[in-house]
Amino acid sequence: MAIAKAERLMNLALCLMNTRRPLAKRELRLSIEAYREIGTEDAFNRMFERDKDDLRELGMVIETVEALDGETGYVARRDRNRLPEIALDAEEAAALSLAARVWQQARLAGAASGALQKLRAAGVPFTEEGYGEGHSVIEPHIPAHEPAFEPLMLAARDRRPVVFEYRKASAVRPETREVEPWALECWRGHWYLAGWDRERSARRVFRLSRITGRVRPRGGRFTAEVPDHVDVRQTVASWAGEGATSTARIRLRRGAGYPLRAKAVETVPASGEWAADWDELEIPYGHGLDAWLVEFGADAVVLAPEELRADVIDRLRAVAKG
Amino acid sequence: MSNAIDQTRRMLSLVTYLRERPGARVGEVARAFGVSEAELIGDLNVLPMCGTSFRGGDLLDIDTDGEHIWWHNAATADEVAQPLRLAADEATALLVAARAVATLPGLRESDRQALLRACAKLETAAGEAAGASSRLSVTFESEGGVFADVDRAIAERRRLWIRYYSPARDELTEREVDPIRLFAVGHTYFEGWCRLSEDRRTFRLDRVAEIKLLDEPSDPPPIEPRDLSAGLVQPAGDDPEVVVEVGPGGRWVAEYYPYDSAEELPDGGLRVTLRTPDPGSLRRLALRLGRDGRIVSPSALADSARDAAQRALAAYGER
Repeated sequence: MAIAKAERLMNLALCLMNTRRPLAKRELRLSIEAYREIGTEDAFNRMFERDKDDLRELGMVIETVEALDGETGYVARRDRNRLPEIALDAEEAAALSLAARVWQQARLAGAASGALQKLRAAGVPFTEEGYGEGHSVIEPHIPAHEPAFEPLMLAARDRRPVVFEYRKASAVRPETREVEPWALECWRGHWYLAGWDRERSARRVFRLSRITGRVRPRGGRFTAEVPDHVDVRQTVASWAGEGATSTARIRLRRGAGYPLRAKAVETVPASGEWAADWDELEIPYGHGLDAWLVEFGADAVVLAPEELRADVIDRLRAVAKG
Repeated sequence: MSNAIDQTRRMLSLVTYLRERPGARVGEVARAFGVSEAELIGDLNVLPMCGTSFRGGDLLDIDTDGEHIWWHNAATADEVAQPLRLAADEATALLVAARAVATLPGLRESDRQALLRACAKLETAAGEAAGASSRLSVTFESEGGVFADVDRAIAERRRLWIRYYSPARDELTEREVDPIRLFAVGHTYFEGWCRLSEDRRTFRLDRVAEIKLLDEPSDPPPIEPRDLSAGLVQPAGDDPEVVVEVGPGGRWVAEYYPYDSAEELPDGGLRVTLRTPDPGSLRRLALRLGRDGRIVSPSALADSARDAAQRALAAYGER
């Protein structure tokens, strides 16, 4: 029976950590039973490369040393692999154990519990109760259901360009985009990517749920300079109609449209024939306000500006026609 | 069963942990590592197959009687039992989550401070592995005042009175709720036993128009907490079916509503079939879509959207 991968990785890790001199691939193959069982040199080489990558993903620093006889040696030096002293008090430890439960994405959830295991082994005083008495009762969750999340996270981490098919908000067909991914941000439960769009030679923000098909590696390096600070949220908030600079005036039936009232900068009772049942509100006028107002049907009527009034009437006509 | 990567990661830490604790109890170690006892025993079966040099015979001599764990040659394992540095993903997972939680409006100040202190120490300990964490960030939306009141009500086991906005009906209703849990998934919500409907309900904090802590004790019936990983809205199998056809500009419907099926249409649009306990609530969706989509069935719902649009046009003096 083939030896399980975890056992093989564990043996490779222990060999590399325990040695004081770099070990040649040939020596490792002889020492580790799982490698001795491999039939061909090619198959062994491929497996060895993958295993080293896996251990590096787990945080291990494996140095490659050219030995005198031309053979490559490998070693995981003790000083470079040791976790520095970290002194967390009970409150800080509780805060981290809360943070470790937040991810709903398999890779990061696994990484978070792995981090806690390392810290625990290093002596951090985690208690089993975690967050108890005296703390906020909040259960935070970060969803990341978009299939594009993991490949983009890794590409942004390693600064590797990618290619994907992207369908803009109202585009009929997806388009191929070649992007240098800078940063990912989750806002209101949705993930966005900011990066350099090579074709357009400009910074762009993408919504992950609009990426269709696989995210593919593009090869090569970043060509554009990565800004120190990437603000995804500001761009996305403006799509969502926030940060409006002007206002609109509407008439709203009393008792209706609470979210409009909550946003209003001014609310007064309507005058004249409307006084009995209606209010007049001044609300921020940003992107998407027309679509939102239409939701309130006959309970919300735009008074000004004229262009918003025309947009809303236009939308209503489309629905009235069916 | 966890995958090979997670298992390797765990076993490397186990080695460090067990070295300091001769005779450690299986149950305690399993809890400390967040795995079942069976998974831990699985690890303990692999570890004696591992060594620093297989041929030299220096395998890890770790064994268990099912209750305690013994490592007989631990003294020889100096080199392999040191605490290991954090990987980039590990540092990222903790730092991004901790920073996100620390920005939650309404979180207790002592918790926020503890999170920020822990982040600072973790950044130092992780060194360059912490660098990649700046490439991910998460913001939770919350209403600080409502958050603090719900948090306190749960801690003190007190009933809440709220005025709550229901977007489906565009109305505010007053109700008393026994709060059970407070959670964030993008937005922040609380789940509780609603004394008005005598049923469990989930409330989004930014839709709470007014909130008061009552002196009455909270007394919710014992209920299983919902599994949030499957999504917030989970329509029931017997809910009525609604079919919506949208053009390219209405594809967002599939991103915001859980659906049964979404069929591509030749014009770049979608035909979305979804289920909801209250189809009337989708009239707002039909109005919002405008020329970007329409309700196909049930026809009564399509009619009611048309009707609502005609009445609204009349209010503008149009027809």
